Amino acid sequence: MSVANASASRSSAYNVVTKAIVDELRDIVGSRGVLVDLEKIEAYSHDETDAKEYGHMPEVVVLPSSPEQVAGVVKLANRERIPVTPRGAGSGLSGGAIPVYGGILISLEKMNKLLELDVENMVAVVEAGMVTNELAMAVQERGLFFAGYPMSLQTCAIGGNIAENAGGGKAVKYGVTGRYIQGIELVTPTGDIVQLGGKLSKDVSGYDLKSLVVGSEGTLGIATKAIIKLIGYPTAKADLLVLFKTPREAIDVVPVILSKGLTPTSIEFMDQLSIITSCKYLNESLPYEKAGAMLLIELDGTNAEQIEMDLIAAGQLCQEHGAIEVYVAEDRNNIERIWNVRRNIAEAFKVYSPIQSLEDIVVPISRIPEIIPELDKLSAKYHVQIPCYGHAGDGNLHATLVKDPDMSMEDWKKNEVACLKELYRITGELGGKISGEHGIGLKRKSFLKDIIDPVELKLMQAIKVAWDPNNIMNPGKIFDLN
Amino acid sequence: MKIIVPIKQVPETSNVKMDPETGTVIRAGVETVVNPLDLYALETAIVLKERFGGTVTVLSMGPPQANKALKEAVAMGCDEAILVSDRKFGGSDTWATSYTLAQAIKKIGAYDLIIAGERATDGDTAQVGPGIASWLDIPVATYVARIEGVVDTRISLERLVEDGYQILSLPLPCLMTVVKEIASPRLPTLDCKIRARQMQIPVYSTENMELEPASLGLKGSPTKVVKIDTPKVTRGGTVVKAGDDEAVVSAVNELMTFLEAKGIL
Repeated sequence: MSVANASASRSSAYNVVTKAIVDELRDIVGSRGVLVDLEKIEAYSHDETDAKEYGHMPEVVVLPSSPEQVAGVVKLANRERIPVTPRGAGSGLSGGAIPVYGGILISLEKMNKLLELDVENMVAVVEAGMVTNELAMAVQERGLFFAGYPMSLQTCAIGGNIAENAGGGKAVKYGVTGRYIQGIELVTPTGDIVQLGGKLSKDVSGYDLKSLVVGSEGTLGIATKAIIKLIGYPTAKADLLVLFKTPREAIDVVPVILSKGLTPTSIEFMDQLSIITSCKYLNESLPYEKAGAMLLIELDGTNAEQIEMDLIAAGQLCQEHGAIEVYVAEDRNNIERIWNVRRNIAEAFKVYSPIQSLEDIVVPISRIPEIIPELDKLSAKYHVQIPCYGHAGDGNLHATLVKDPDMSMEDWKKNEVACLKELYRITGELGGKISGEHGIGLKRKSFLKDIIDPVELKLMQAIKVAWDPNNIMNPGKIFDLN
Repeated sequence: MKIIVPIKQVPETSNVKMDPETGTVIRAGVETVVNPLDLYALETAIVLKERFGGTVTVLSMGPPQANKALKEAVAMGCDEAILVSDRKFGGSDTWATSYTLAQAIKKIGAYDLIIAGERATDGDTAQVGPGIASWLDIPVATYVARIEGVVDTRISLERLVEDGYQILSLPLPCLMTVVKEIASPRLPTLDCKIRARQMQIPVYSTENMELEPASLGLKGSPTKVVKIDTPKVTRGGTVVKAGDDEAVVSAVNELMTFLEAKGIL
């Protein structure tokens, strides 16, 4: 339980939430929208990162139901110098929604409605707490598609996706969340409500603040509404599962496919360790023994005939570039079967050892083969398993450090930090960054300063100070202010 | 060894919606797939072919769209495909279907083995496989879980029965229906898929088959659907409440008595 961490890192810069403040919060959001019971607020003390390691209790949780209520709470917090942590669905992987300094946690779970589906402008206006899958289902009924969602779409909320600029399995073709955010209603750290962007396809009227908010991890304010760009729903899809002898052969084929004008929605990479562990976990009989690496390639569109032609073309390119075998999945059962292998890698490793560090490095696509042998070296040096899988089509790899069940926690902690430092250094040397889609948050904050250009960091800090002069909005995330 | 596998195209079940008025499946706009249980028959046939040589012919009765299922079977590694299709076959029950398929198999010519899935996931009758055997007057083994081997003109196999396994030796030609345990279906490969795409699938119809017109389609089907309704769940289950420490003791006792009465403990 993370209760142990309550107020452990309280900073003298902030004031505590007194009874008077709780009463004032009740005036703003109503008494049912304010939670103080330890039992109830415990659920808000962590996200999908390890609760023991990163979890932290808020002092109070508020559940507003309008932007005005959010603004009221933030104004109060700003006046009283109380830290505020915004939270969507808590499915984040970098600790972004964890209230490190206690204070007020604002959960947008009640603001979960689809406000408008504007088919003429191909946009949806949603409240930020709406669960991504619910939006996806609602627009699909009208033949429309929200393409910029992450793998966790069943649970994650739109506001969180915006905060993290989340990506996912379809990013090769459709890009990440930011591409689909045309407008944001934001409650600023000083409690003002501002509309950024709108139902506009183009907008250069001043700085692009909307895009600055996307990916700011809740440090520049709280998105309460979003105007989301929609596209036509792709009715046809098909997949290839391609076996290669080596990771290099698998990765080398990626630019070949892309440069031929084929744009798969996803090109997922799995190394041998990931494949074997997941297949064994699923009791899957694919002939994985002979595969040193696999690619999962998905194509979609509205013309089934065209998809079939593209599928064959992509498969033949793989064959020409050393594929051992190319499997085809065209119906739902087979498509599910092969995606299951990819989706269950993390779960399969949890059976082996629940203690892991899920990483999110991103490198230029062409450098992926260089990172694989480095992972092998790190694995041997630090006695951790490092399965590597992820989005080869955009260079974003979820190399994951898995603790050996026999290793002591003390050694694991030491090795984890040392191994991550080295992994991030290598990633930087290959022209990469330490997070592609999960964010820096709390989990990677201490590593960011070592690899980021100091000038870039200074600019970020200057922006933060300008937007949030009292540093109350999700403090302790991405970087510290000196 | 010449093996014939009859398969069925069915609606993809995770997506199926029922018409509340008629109680039947709404088929319009629903994705179709090869009956998932037929995949085990296809896999078994392909494995036998790989072991003993020969060919696998896949057969499906249905509308022209059933070609898609046949092509998928070819993409898995079947050699030939035949579509049995005619408007006059519409509305066939298991009797008329097995008759029509048996006639199609006679038209194909000599064969050693017919392998069918346990049942189709839409009709759930498990009758068509044994029905075909009956029309062809050949031995049948249902629920086959393992094939021991083929020696000369006999096949030895294990049937999954309630109390365990039944070991049988059957003369060829014969028909068997297989259960999931027998194999793990392979995925279609690109090379076989390309072959399937280019393949012209012959159509067997009333025009080129020897058929008794009175045995076809709705007219030839003795099964008459009078009424369809959804069964009601009559087993309610018993909830044993254990709210406090005292209640836990009596709840445990109650449960123990129940289990003892049932002979479980």
